[in-house]
Amino acid sequence: MTPQLTVDIIKRLGQTTLEMRFTAEAEILVLFGPSGAGKTQTLQAIAGLSTPDSGQIRFDDAIFFQRMPGKPVVNLPARKRRIGYVFQQYALFPHMSALENVAFPLGRRRDARDRAMELLERMHLAHLAQRMPHELSGGQQQRIAIARALAAEPHILLLDESFSALDRPVRERLHEEIRMVQAERRLVVLYVTHNLDDAFAVGHRLAVVRNGRIEQIGRINDVFTRPANRHVLDILGIPNAMNARVIETGPSGSLLDWDGIFLEAPPIDTPPGAEITAYIRPEDIRLVYPDRSLSRMVLHNHLEGIVVERRLERHMYRLRVALPDGRPIEVIYPSSLYATMNLTPGERVRLALRKESIVVIAPRERVSPPVGTILSERMHDAGAIDPASSSLT
Amino acid sequence: MNWPAFWLSLQVNAIASIMILVAGLLIALMLVRTRFRGKILLETVIMLPLVLPPSVIGYYLLLAFGRGSPLFEWFNIRILFTWQAAVAASVVVGIPLMVQSSRAALANVDPVLENAARTLGASELRILWRVTLPLARRGILAGVILGSARALGEFGATLMITGNIPGRTQTLPVAIYDAVQAQRYADAHLMVLVMTGLALAGLLLARQLEPAPQYRRADDAESSV
Repeated sequence: MTPQLTVDIIKRLGQTTLEMRFTAEAEILVLFGPSGAGKTQTLQAIAGLSTPDSGQIRFDDAIFFQRMPGKPVVNLPARKRRIGYVFQQYALFPHMSALENVAFPLGRRRDARDRAMELLERMHLAHLAQRMPHELSGGQQQRIAIARALAAEPHILLLDESFSALDRPVRERLHEEIRMVQAERRLVVLYVTHNLDDAFAVGHRLAVVRNGRIEQIGRINDVFTRPANRHVLDILGIPNAMNARVIETGPSGSLLDWDGIFLEAPPIDTPPGAEITAYIRPEDIRLVYPDRSLSRMVLHNHLEGIVVERRLERHMYRLRVALPDGRPIEVIYPSSLYATMNLTPGERVRLALRKESIVVIAPRERVSPPVGTILSERMHDAGAIDPASSSLT
Repeated sequence: MNWPAFWLSLQVNAIASIMILVAGLLIALMLVRTRFRGKILLETVIMLPLVLPPSVIGYYLLLAFGRGSPLFEWFNIRILFTWQAAVAASVVVGIPLMVQSSRAALANVDPVLENAARTLGASELRILWRVTLPLARRGILAGVILGSARALGEFGATLMITGNIPGRTQTLPVAIYDAVQAQRYADAHLMVLVMTGLALAGLLLARQLEPAPQYRRADDAESSV
């Protein structure tokens, strides 16, 4: 049977409301989003270090937390949830050696030292067993913190920006380690980060978190190729997003009005008049040679602009172009391409936005009501929440 | 040198120190961990012996342990004019210093470490014993030493409630007063030196302990795995 963690909670946090709803299985699920989005709060609620206002957290048959109308209130203390939590600042006990740290969750078990030693060996740290935390590098400390978390034999492992203070090569090795441990023990791993490279390096699935909610969750590649909305585009750092209006649509394609610029796009379901969000990847934009005949691929959507900036990134150029009204467009092309064109800032260029490359994502969201109303409606739904008894710890 | 007074002072101080440690630590924990109405008032009352004249403290203790008080009538505690009364006076004047120092030390323990211990399956009692107290130990020790050094020098209240019976309730500070009154200056000299030496040693020790060295951040260690 595959383990399953189900989270469905609401918690008021100052200005925003945490409203998390997702399931995770034996996998590495990356929670990605800007800081303050509620990622850490979510982990803390799962671990039992903070108490949600209402909802339910379940792992298989065990209820960690429950506060729902018509059901008994449950709030299992953190120590009984068997969740490994790896903090950003390692959180090793500074007055205990590496070995004592790893043996801590094993308590008075007679084989505590042997088992702790085994885990240190597993993390390739046996030679450092007697060192104190302050004698170890950041990477070593974090390995010990992982070994310590695993010593408690958790079913769930929570990594809270655990590697973000570490150098890139160290981080890469730890990612590898986490993937191996996850597979070996079939753990449910939640990995919080604000670094996209990390998300790609370690994750199976990605949840894009913003303002206390999940905007989109899915396999990492799917989220990237099919972002659900404008927020996801922004958070993932995908440029060239556009808000446009549908003018007409048919079986062969549609016509969009992007604030005065008409673009041909693939066929879409949305009726004419609808407001939609679309984007085009910078690598899907072609430059048009002024002196050559156009290939069939780039017949549509020609725009004129002026080069603002050109940067070399590894094997590619990143070109920033301003349209006549100042709207920016980003283009990425291999450094071997367009060698004969002068693309220094100030030069005039023609861009071709291939029709097939314009991706229309869902109709634009309506402006969401202020947080207060959402909360009070929810409270209503969930049955009245008595503020006096809201602290369960 | 008045040896009976010296030994009595040590005995009183040893017992008082243990009581200061236990009671002071419990109060400090309560002040750090809990919130309740009137907390500020309680804190202030605990600090009061630092500024009150010793005679006022002595007077309160006479009331607390004298005929008609709950301790006397209901619990049958009759310690006035015994050496145990000197212990009571010592504890009252020593506790404020203990509470101050250990409270700061407890509040300084990184809550992330306590949370880490929670996720690792430790009970609150085990966290207190294995994580919080060991990490606060310097401040706690400094508090005990300061408190017991203050208690060792207790004079005014002790004089009022022990009755100054030589050989039975007379502590060193009171014996010094007695010696000076009786113009036995050689005696007084020696005892004054002993008191000064003890106080100096206590303060130096406390000073050594107090500013707990910061744990070196891992950031500046080499990051090699």
